[in-house]
Amino acid sequence: MAVRANYDYDWPSRSAAELYGDDQLVHIWWKGNPFFVSAQTFRFPKAMPFGELVGLCKGFFAADPDFVPDAMDTVQWRIDKVDVTPDMSASLEANGVGHKSLVEFSI
Amino acid sequence: MTVSPEKPARKLSMKQRYTALTHDLDWTPTYVTEEEIFPFTTFEGIKVHDWSKWEDPFRLTVEAYNKYQAEKDRRLYAVLDGFAQSQGQLGLTEARYMNAMKIFLQGIPIHEYDAHRNFSYLARYANGPGARFAALCQSMDELRHAQTEIHTLSHYNKYFDGMHDWHKWSDRVWYLSVPKSFFEDAMTAGPFEWLIAIGFSFEYLLTNLLFVPFMSGAAFNGDLPTMTFGFSAQSDESRHMTLGLEAIKFMLEQDEDNLPIVQDWLDKWFWRGYRLIALVAGMMDYMLPKRVMSWKEAFELYFEEQMLNGLFKDLEYYGIKPPRHVQWAIDEKEILSHQVYWVLYQYSHAAAFTTTIPDEADQAWLQESYPETWPVFKAAVWDKAQRVQDAGGRYFNPGLPQLCTVCQIPMGFTEPGDPLTQCQRQSVYEGERYDFCSDGCQWIFDREPTKYRQSWLPVHQIYQGNCGGPTLPDVAAWYGLQPGDGAEYLGSPDHQNWLAWHGQAPKED
Repeated sequence: MAVRANYDYDWPSRSAAELYGDDQLVHIWWKGNPFFVSAQTFRFPKAMPFGELVGLCKGFFAADPDFVPDAMDTVQWRIDKVDVTPDMSASLEANGVGHKSLVEFSI
Repeated sequence: MTVSPEKPARKLSMKQRYTALTHDLDWTPTYVTEEEIFPFTTFEGIKVHDWSKWEDPFRLTVEAYNKYQAEKDRRLYAVLDGFAQSQGQLGLTEARYMNAMKIFLQGIPIHEYDAHRNFSYLARYANGPGARFAALCQSMDELRHAQTEIHTLSHYNKYFDGMHDWHKWSDRVWYLSVPKSFFEDAMTAGPFEWLIAIGFSFEYLLTNLLFVPFMSGAAFNGDLPTMTFGFSAQSDESRHMTLGLEAIKFMLEQDEDNLPIVQDWLDKWFWRGYRLIALVAGMMDYMLPKRVMSWKEAFELYFEEQMLNGLFKDLEYYGIKPPRHVQWAIDEKEILSHQVYWVLYQYSHAAAFTTTIPDEADQAWLQESYPETWPVFKAAVWDKAQRVQDAGGRYFNPGLPQLCTVCQIPMGFTEPGDPLTQCQRQSVYEGERYDFCSDGCQWIFDREPTKYRQSWLPVHQIYQGNCGGPTLPDVAAWYGLQPGDGAEYLGSPDHQNWLAWHGQAPKED
């Protein structure tokens, strides 16, 4: 429904895709591990290969003392809640990762 | 000029004086329309047929109001003087208690001031004199609360970190965007929605959950100034509660078409307020060295018993139903505080309070208070954090959290019945995705997407380059944080000073 106001109320998003140029925000979620209290938000180039995202994850999630980086190589990835098999050499965009997409895995 | 031949009555009764000094100053305009004088009370769709039906049960005059408030202020400032002279800060239970007051100082007084501003607006723009006068009194109260809170807590600024730049932090720091967005949401609504948001939901439904923990926490932990401020504000609060209740009843009695609008606002503002006071849950169960009661017990007493089984039974008469999503809140009472404090713990390196792993006594209390959920949390997160600490580290989250678009809290709340799987809700509006922590926040967004897509989400703003730079030191500098304001409590300047003051260890310098 429209906002009830005494004028024509319409304001743009403060986090619209165009505010990030060639980059976009991506949420990465280690589902089922509350040690990282929530999914994590990153700013990545749309053209970044998916494999680079996996590499970054291996470093980032090492903050959990039980994390084994190699486990990332065999996880089932989900993009916006749909199971996918990403092409590691293709870009995030080509893999269907959009602005504020949720990229999910569990170990 | 003619002089009235009638002799005036010697003295007016209280009721006559109140009427003479408030309602009799009202008149029906003839040169302009009512709509021109009061242009903001129609666009929300609330129908009012007779403003004179707005009752003010307190019937205060400005004269009486000033007299009461001056007396209360005299008492408060006498306590503050005595406390300062006797080095009262040394009598606190522990320095870490101050973390609760830091959050209070950073998150509340600035919004008392917001409330002051918006009630002033109502005091001008409500059509009826009863509503205007009640709003005027509340406006003055809110200003006094902002001032007395700041004065009360400023004493501690001389001795503790995390209190020096509360004003700037309120405007900039990530967790303080939670109260800021809440109040700005209410202030940018119309006057009737404001009355339901602040007057009713905040001041009536949730006020005991907000103030009792802080004030009783103060009393239990040797914080006499905060306790005295609390008592000083309490009599105002009962007037505010009455105004909130009067406001909702007035709207419902004026026209039955108002019911669905009011119910929607109630649903929205219950959930907004409930998410806001999640910060209180974390504070109550984890930050007070001496606890009053658990969040769960407070929720059961002040919300389930007093509101759901009391107030809402009365409101049934008008057709009002308990808030949508209330069951979700009830289901969360066992886990809410664990999740909130875990957020605060892992991001306190970017905050103006310190956190620490619950010690043995804390853990025993948590076990007793939350026998089912504490062991699950302890195993999932605290044991790991302890291992990191035992290895000489301290776990801080190295990144930035996904934030809920509506409540702006990191999305660490979980699916009902599943304490370990975070809840993920998304809506797409005009081609853009938005994230939510719960059905409640998603429902609020879906009602008014053009409002909430303007959310100033701290994480997104950092990534847009609007918060001083890309690194943590850049952002901390832009926030105005100094070493000692945040991070780990053990070994912090507050902790070291506390030990030194009590002769337990020399201050390392």
